[in-house]
Amino acid sequence: MKNESTVVERIVTTTESVTLSRYWMVSALIGLLFSSVAGLLVSLERIDLSSASIFSTADDVFQFWTAHRVALVLIAVLPLMIGLATAIVPRQVGSSRLVFPRMSAFSFWVWLFGALIIIIGFLANGGVGTPDATSETQSVALTLVGVLLTIIGICGASTSVLTTIVAGRAPGISLLNIPAFSWSVLVAGTMWLATLPVLVANTVLVYVDMRGRAPVNFGSEAVVWEQLSWAFTHPQIYLWVLPLLGIVAEIISAAFKNKISNPFLFTAIGLTGAAGFGAYAQTYFDIGTPVFEEAFSIIQAFIAIPAVLLVVAFISPKIKDLKGFDKQTTTPAVLATLSIVLLLHGVVVGAVHVIGPLELSTRSTVSAQIVLTLGAGVLACMAAFSWWGELLIGKSISQRKILISGLTFHFGVGIFAVADFLVGFTGQNDFTGVSEFAAGTDGSSWVETLNIISFIGSLLILLGVIAAIATTVQHVLSKTPATGNPWGADTLEWKSKEKEEVA
Amino acid sequence: MLTTGFKLWFGLLVAAFTAAVFVGYTTGGTETGPLTLGWKGAVGNHIAYGILMMAATTSGLLAILSQSFRDADAEAAAEILEVDIDEVPEAQIFTGSSPWPLFTALGVVTMAVGLVAHPFVFGTGLIILLVTAIEWTMTNWSERATGDPEKNHELKEGLLRPIEIPVLGLVGMGVLVVAVSRILLAASVLGAVWIATVVGTIIFLTAYFISKRPSIPRGVVQGILAVGVLAVIVSGIFAAINGERDFHHVGGEHGEHGDSDMEEDH
Repeated sequence: MKNESTVVERIVTTTESVTLSRYWMVSALIGLLFSSVAGLLVSLERIDLSSASIFSTADDVFQFWTAHRVALVLIAVLPLMIGLATAIVPRQVGSSRLVFPRMSAFSFWVWLFGALIIIIGFLANGGVGTPDATSETQSVALTLVGVLLTIIGICGASTSVLTTIVAGRAPGISLLNIPAFSWSVLVAGTMWLATLPVLVANTVLVYVDMRGRAPVNFGSEAVVWEQLSWAFTHPQIYLWVLPLLGIVAEIISAAFKNKISNPFLFTAIGLTGAAGFGAYAQTYFDIGTPVFEEAFSIIQAFIAIPAVLLVVAFISPKIKDLKGFDKQTTTPAVLATLSIVLLLHGVVVGAVHVIGPLELSTRSTVSAQIVLTLGAGVLACMAAFSWWGELLIGKSISQRKILISGLTFHFGVGIFAVADFLVGFTGQNDFTGVSEFAAGTDGSSWVETLNIISFIGSLLILLGVIAAIATTVQHVLSKTPATGNPWGADTLEWKSKEKEEVA
Repeated sequence: MLTTGFKLWFGLLVAAFTAAVFVGYTTGGTETGPLTLGWKGAVGNHIAYGILMMAATTSGLLAILSQSFRDADAEAAAEILEVDIDEVPEAQIFTGSSPWPLFTALGVVTMAVGLVAHPFVFGTGLIILLVTAIEWTMTNWSERATGDPEKNHELKEGLLRPIEIPVLGLVGMGVLVVAVSRILLAASVLGAVWIATVVGTIIFLTAYFISKRPSIPRGVVQGILAVGVLAVIVSGIFAAINGERDFHHVGGEHGEHGDSDMEEDH
């Protein structure tokens, strides 16, 4: 059939996996920008909390503080991972396309509209409510609807990718033979599908409380963030970034021409996924009970086991093979290594902050751990873009520009995390509103200095994100054709070419 | 063995039932009303609850049908046609570009926003969703009807176009008539005359311009039409928000005189 569709028609009707992947990733980068700006404003306000600099009330600070976290997970990190998986997984398992291409397209559009509604909800003084209940109820309801829509989109896209791995593999490729990235997506996607419906239930519960009548009131409309917060903190955030383990394994394996043992690596990824299941950590129901705190500490300790396994898997086979390092792979290898380093720091900070006597569970240390872990996920996506970029956009990739963006982002995350980790020991709370400053911290010059350093970290994060967006746009507009398989990698995605779809 | 079609329709049944209960609880239903179809208490918004329950019931019936006919697979088709399985036409799985994912997403999002904003918005989303459900289903059916994509396309066109064109034409005309009437009623008498004259002239000149250039790209024509229709609809919405101009009834209040229908506007 002759293809007579216009550009607009092609944009809105596509079901082709690589194109959908581009949509996901570009939209996610814009979401990351929104999240980074919100985080920067909160950091700026924290420099001098004795008086209002940016925001007039603690509620305003709370809106942006929660916006930063919600957007980072639902509008940035998860869609980045899904975007990568949408393009790469079908090729890696030898499938000509996603098993449910139209569901994938539907999922993207639902997610996109949901993301826009979330942003509008936050900007319209809604968000996830405020401690003093000064937010607009309608806008809070709108934000909750946006959260539901983004989750529907993420679950739909995950289902399509997972089904492709399970049922769309080429003959002869068993599950244990699929590349590490596809395996990590399989584990992560399964766990997302196991936990996101719980978040849906939490959101619906709050929504019903807000909009329903007295007979069905569960009393959660005033504590929206408490209902939802488990999805934006540890251990659940390990699940959001789980595919980074597959990304790192593939890049490091190819860089050193030394394949990591699949059973060992796959077991470690599976264990990390299991330990990251965080839907039980419902602060609304359980916080403060001994059983909850003990279980929480055990999980935090347990997650160190797969983390150690991963270090052994990634580093030990390489020490003797340093001479075999392919210098051409410097950018993806450096970014991948830094992302796993950030993740391990996140795990360590997570383990430290649940130690009871230190009393860090509600301090800024939590913020350090979240930014380290989710930052690791973003950095891994930058490494993946450096690695698979030619497949994703069909153009030649400037590795130097990606390296500069990645390093800026990495240093931003590192500086922010160190400052927030330390300031947590002074007593500064995770959420520090204007009016809480005096009560929450000792107000010493140390605190102020650390908050300034934290702000510098936020600024670098934002600059790294802006640089990544600029680099992506430049690559998309570039006319230099792709060179094929620049790394000499042996996984299937470099050898297969997706079938052209008939419009 | 449960067939894929059964699972799909059963899933829709569960989703529609859950949505109905959810709507019931959020629109004034009692504890047990939405769960007992109104037998033990109120179900909340009757219209939304009724529509969703109807959707659940229909999905259930279709699930039973799908299971009964084994999703019309080759063996079942052979049995019904009373032919050998080799004589059943081959079906090719074909998945090309499609606008229905976007429209379905729009329907879902409109419904979701309607939950917060206004029942009318919710209803609009529901209509969009129902229409896209029919279109998407028919598209999928036609793509698997035979092994020839051209033939499949013709089958779909032949089945859907006689329904789509009159329905879309009626809906389009209805929307435009309502929008233009709001604009004319919002403007002054003289203004309404001028608007009607200018808009009519623009439509005439645009049509003349297009007719004189048969080689003009389809995208440009679509763009011109889209801008024009959007302008009329947006103007209509703004006019409706502003309200109609003042009408002064001749002879005082309605009902006081025999000529109460006579009115004078300014």
